[in-house]
Amino acid sequence: MAGQSNPDLSVFSAPEVEFLAEDEMVEIVPNIRMEALNMICGDFGPFFPQIASKVPLWLAVALKKRGKCTIRTPEWMSVERLTQVLEAERESSREFQPLPFHYVEISRLLFDHAHDDIPDLYMVRSLIEDIRDVRFHKVETGLETISGRTHAVKLKNLSAMEVNIVRPFMVRALQAFYRHDSPQMIQQPRTMGGSRPQAVDRGPRRDLRPR
Amino acid sequence: MPGYYDIDDIIMEEEPISVVFQVGAHGVGLLDPGSETNNVENGAKVDLPFWLAHELYLRQAVSISVPACFSQKTRKEIQADAACVDLRIRCPYFYELGCKIVPLVSDKSIGSFLHYAFTGRYKEILSKSHSASVVTVPKFSTRLTKEESQLFEAARSSMLAFKKWRLGGSRLEKASILGRKRKTTIPACPSTP
Repeated sequence: MAGQSNPDLSVFSAPEVEFLAEDEMVEIVPNIRMEALNMICGDFGPFFPQIASKVPLWLAVALKKRGKCTIRTPEWMSVERLTQVLEAERESSREFQPLPFHYVEISRLLFDHAHDDIPDLYMVRSLIEDIRDVRFHKVETGLETISGRTHAVKLKNLSAMEVNIVRPFMVRALQAFYRHDSPQMIQQPRTMGGSRPQAVDRGPRRDLRPR
Repeated sequence: MPGYYDIDDIIMEEEPISVVFQVGAHGVGLLDPGSETNNVENGAKVDLPFWLAHELYLRQAVSISVPACFSQKTRKEIQADAACVDLRIRCPYFYELGCKIVPLVSDKSIGSFLHYAFTGRYKEILSKSHSASVVTVPKFSTRLTKEESQLFEAARSSMLAFKKWRLGGSRLEKASILGRKRKTTIPACPSTP
């Protein structure tokens, strides 16, 4: 994004994706009383001690750093849910499980700032690492199969950070394959029947996920 | 796609191609180091940069022979193991040159050969670039052509950026210019009487 000397590379850098992730809403339990905050993006209602309220993640982290609240872990970040997701990821070799779009960034922010609010911290952290590895491995195996006939690659349920990592590579790889596999490069031998018009062979649809 | 302003395209077109002149050419003996007079004879074999060879081919003044990097020897090596062939030494612009040569040369199998080579090496690039370990990189990346190494670098830099972000730390980076200490002593100079 800003300051990129080579516009062909990734549009977002990793901290920028994290910045975008901070707009997600989380629940906090304040331990002080504060009146309403009126911001450009919205009003965040008056805070009463021990009454949960929903705020964006950036506000939650800011309050947490000042010791004014505790952050309640999102419900997808419990050990049971993550174990389920990990099992499902390992079983299906082509599909990705639905996970929150910014799960990598949210989990990292919570680990950094709210590590005492998460039950079973080490377990959750290792589970998320494993999920990330399995998904990325799936992306790689899927990428091995693209060829010149691939018109588009469909990756369903991939998260923001994962998309950001593969974006420059995938764009260039598809461009390179397109250049090499165009019909004028691979010139068919003239012995084929000349009167039959050559329809464009679209090839099989290469989904990384079956429809 | 390469264009008029693309630097890689410009450098690639400097690659020498050996051509055979179909007509005699006067006054350009500079091109042929073996000619005594200032002319190039009909049928002389000369090395020209690609951009010149292309133009002369369009005027039907030369016929282009297949460059050495697409010879049978290279093909055999690539068929043996595509990933280990050092293409950078042979021709750093292997693929681009091949793409440009295809409409000019009579050999029709170059296109599919390029495609085969690229597919073979692409798998290696994919796995090596995303592993993000510093050890295996230098040996492998010296064998890639310019185009492949751009692909490789793109993947590797985004992977490294992600790893760096994951390790944590503050989001604000200190500008590198602040790291250097300013010299506070006046450098000694000879005193002028």
